[in-house]
Amino acid sequence: MATGSSQIEDFGQVSRTVGTIFRYLILAATLFGIVVLAALLVYVANDALQPATADPGWYLTFFLTLVAPTALVGWAVHRREPAAFTFGSFLVGLLVVSLMFSGGVGLLVVDVVPPLVGFSFAIAIAVPTAISVFLTRYSHRIGFTSRLSATAFVFYLSLFGLPGPIGSPIGVPQVVPSLARAIQSIPVIPVDWMMVGTVLGGIGGAVVGSYVAGVRDARTGLVAGGLAFAATLVSAVVGPFVGLNPVPSTVLTAVTVLPTATYAWRGAFTEERRPAGLGFAAVVVGGALVGAAATSTLGFAGPQSWVDWQFLTSAHSGSAENAGLYPAIGGSILLMATVAALSFPIGVGAAVYLEEYAPDNRLTRFVDVNISNLAGVPSVVYGLLGLGVFVTYLGQAAGTVIVGGATLALLILPIVIISSREAIRSVPSNMRQASYGMGATRWQTVKNVILPEAFPGILTGTILALGRAIGETAPLIMIAAPNVVFSLPTALESKVSAMPLQVYAWSSLFASEDFYTKAVPAGVVVLLAVLLAMNSIAIVLRNRFERTG
Amino acid sequence: MSNEPQSVSDSLQRNEFVVRKERLYGRLIAASAVLTILVTVGIILSLSGHALTFWREISPIAFFTGTNWSPVIGNSYGVLPLVSGTLIVTVCSALIALPVGLAAAIYLSEYASDRVRSLLKPSLEVLAGVPTVIYGYMALVYVTPLVDSVLPLSVPLVPSGLPLFPEFTLVVPSLRTFNAMSASIVVGIMIIPMVASISEDAMSAVPDELRQAGYGMGATKFDVATGVVVPASLSGIFSSFILALSRAIGETMAVTIAAGSRAQFLNPLNPASYLEGALPMTAAMVQLLTGDITGGGLAYRSLFAIGLVLFVITLVMNIISDFVAQRYREEY
Repeated sequence: MATGSSQIEDFGQVSRTVGTIFRYLILAATLFGIVVLAALLVYVANDALQPATADPGWYLTFFLTLVAPTALVGWAVHRREPAAFTFGSFLVGLLVVSLMFSGGVGLLVVDVVPPLVGFSFAIAIAVPTAISVFLTRYSHRIGFTSRLSATAFVFYLSLFGLPGPIGSPIGVPQVVPSLARAIQSIPVIPVDWMMVGTVLGGIGGAVVGSYVAGVRDARTGLVAGGLAFAATLVSAVVGPFVGLNPVPSTVLTAVTVLPTATYAWRGAFTEERRPAGLGFAAVVVGGALVGAAATSTLGFAGPQSWVDWQFLTSAHSGSAENAGLYPAIGGSILLMATVAALSFPIGVGAAVYLEEYAPDNRLTRFVDVNISNLAGVPSVVYGLLGLGVFVTYLGQAAGTVIVGGATLALLILPIVIISSREAIRSVPSNMRQASYGMGATRWQTVKNVILPEAFPGILTGTILALGRAIGETAPLIMIAAPNVVFSLPTALESKVSAMPLQVYAWSSLFASEDFYTKAVPAGVVVLLAVLLAMNSIAIVLRNRFERTG
Repeated sequence: MSNEPQSVSDSLQRNEFVVRKERLYGRLIAASAVLTILVTVGIILSLSGHALTFWREISPIAFFTGTNWSPVIGNSYGVLPLVSGTLIVTVCSALIALPVGLAAAIYLSEYASDRVRSLLKPSLEVLAGVPTVIYGYMALVYVTPLVDSVLPLSVPLVPSGLPLFPEFTLVVPSLRTFNAMSASIVVGIMIIPMVASISEDAMSAVPDELRQAGYGMGATKFDVATGVVVPASLSGIFSSFILALSRAIGETMAVTIAAGSRAQFLNPLNPASYLEGALPMTAAMVQLLTGDITGGGLAYRSLFAIGLVLFVITLVMNIISDFVAQRYREEY
């Protein structure tokens, strides 16, 4: 404290020097880590993208076509209508992120799931889903147990046939083929792009339709969904004229064009009316396209970046120039799908139980403490858990997609639970009371009130947790995932690599100046770009959530 | 459930339906909560199962006091070199992260305006979000040469030519390619947000009346920050320190890539140790698995023994941190 116990004779002077020095010292400390990391990332990006190798004319062209118009139009729009500026920037961001997504989906469609298999399973899931929806809607006289078993039976029949995997250990021959198998054995099958287009267009049309129906009305939604479905199929026919194969162009339409177009429609032509934002987005995208066309006609070479099409689409190689990340990217995508499928339902279920159901007893408190301790267990120990339980005890093959996915799912489970609990806790309790007051049961309250309200928060937490899982290397090493994989995993039981694992392999097992300055920085940049995309989705979701909540 | 029940028997049936459904869903989600306990049990069982059979062959005394670690060639399993490696990385990263994190927490909680805080806080969190394998690569390829560019260094601490004092010069030799120093620097940077955010939470929880009372007594902002807020949130700060240390102990990829691969016993009290290559416990585990070991062999089981030690250390630290935060929290 400033004053001691001695008697104060007058107020005297208090030096401000100490305070000022302290203030700038702690500001410097706050910035220290950020600045160091930023400097290191600049080094990495410089090695990976090689900006100095580009022609000055290349920069000049892009400055004239992209940077200057973007800055001018952006400034003008922002000054007159800040909301339109935000909308325009979101639209561009959505375009970029959805392009990355269509790359991922394209990889799955082309190299992981054969179109016929994907098509047959899509139908084999769609048919029983439709039946069970019908059962739920139109028959209240069937008891719960019988309805549940009927639904389960229809799904089983459709996916596995009779007697299916239950019969095979005791040698009962397959009597009724599964719907999926039956479709696969039809002698006349449609062309690849038709099957891919039907599945992706169906999903895209359903999503677009329900979104539009939410904004406008059911009829407009139906029309929009039909249009989206048709657009996906038509794009396969139009694609070859602009130099795209039919299958990639359906993927591009369904994953990139549909969401971007729907968002643009909503922002520009509904009540919100912000066509200025649409104009801003058009200037950015158009500028980039014009710049690319201009540099190629004028012959200005771009930077000799190591992150190029060859790096993204080829496998590991002994020389750093030819090494690529493709199998690792595919592995990471499949791992993340497995992790999300496992950790999301379990994590949300546990969170709902702890927040809404659990009695306040010792067991609940123990579960509580246990979860927070699990969050602090080092990731390498989770790897040992996967090795000990899944590989040694359950006898799974080491280093497969399912083992890796399950291990990473356990790793992020505490994070998913903790963030979901926070989201559920933030649902105002008067909404709960209102639901109970209307005579709803506990589960109905959870399903109809709490989960829809808390969903954006839960989703944000899960995406952030997935971001943690996608960067983890140590657990994958522990479950003996191979350092070098040359092909994409095609089943849950195939060996898998992942982006961070490949980066580790290059920087330790293939340690050489060449790999250090070419392949590794390129891999780091790709990994960071994926992380950035995931985190920006999470942040956008959170901001929306906070604004409405 | 929108349709009205039509008759008494119908409504009874619907009742049965609802009750069974409620029970089923309640049990399903209770099962997912119980699964988290099973995870802990699974960790303990899978670690201790192999570890115990390992300690049956290598006595725990030899394991915990041996100073030689060469599992594949020498068949000697002394864990002390690995523990010393972990200790060195932890101490060195703590020297960076604890003061910097604490200072950042004071700045964010006491000095920063709302706007600045809303910018700086997420930027700090980014430090913890970057995958650790990237930190390891950056330590090896950028930090080591960067630090090495000012080395070797000799700084005369006592100016030469003084009559009474002996000459004393601080000599720092060049770094090795793999060294504990660079690994610790990046580990220190990645645990800054842990210290900063938990400490800041504790400082923000200090009620404003205390600050106002300080100002009322004529204290400056500096006096209030260091004399009122920090002491009042000491338990939170301490608990954040322990959590950060536990995180540094469990950190794997950065030390695996950058710290080295040769197990040697290093004295943490000797400053020269920090420039040597070190093999922390986590890095030794990765090394064991990437090397040629046979499943079920002694080297394979030693993996689980180290894992168990690591798990117990981090668990104890997490519990202490929890205990400190609960027990010594000042209630306002």
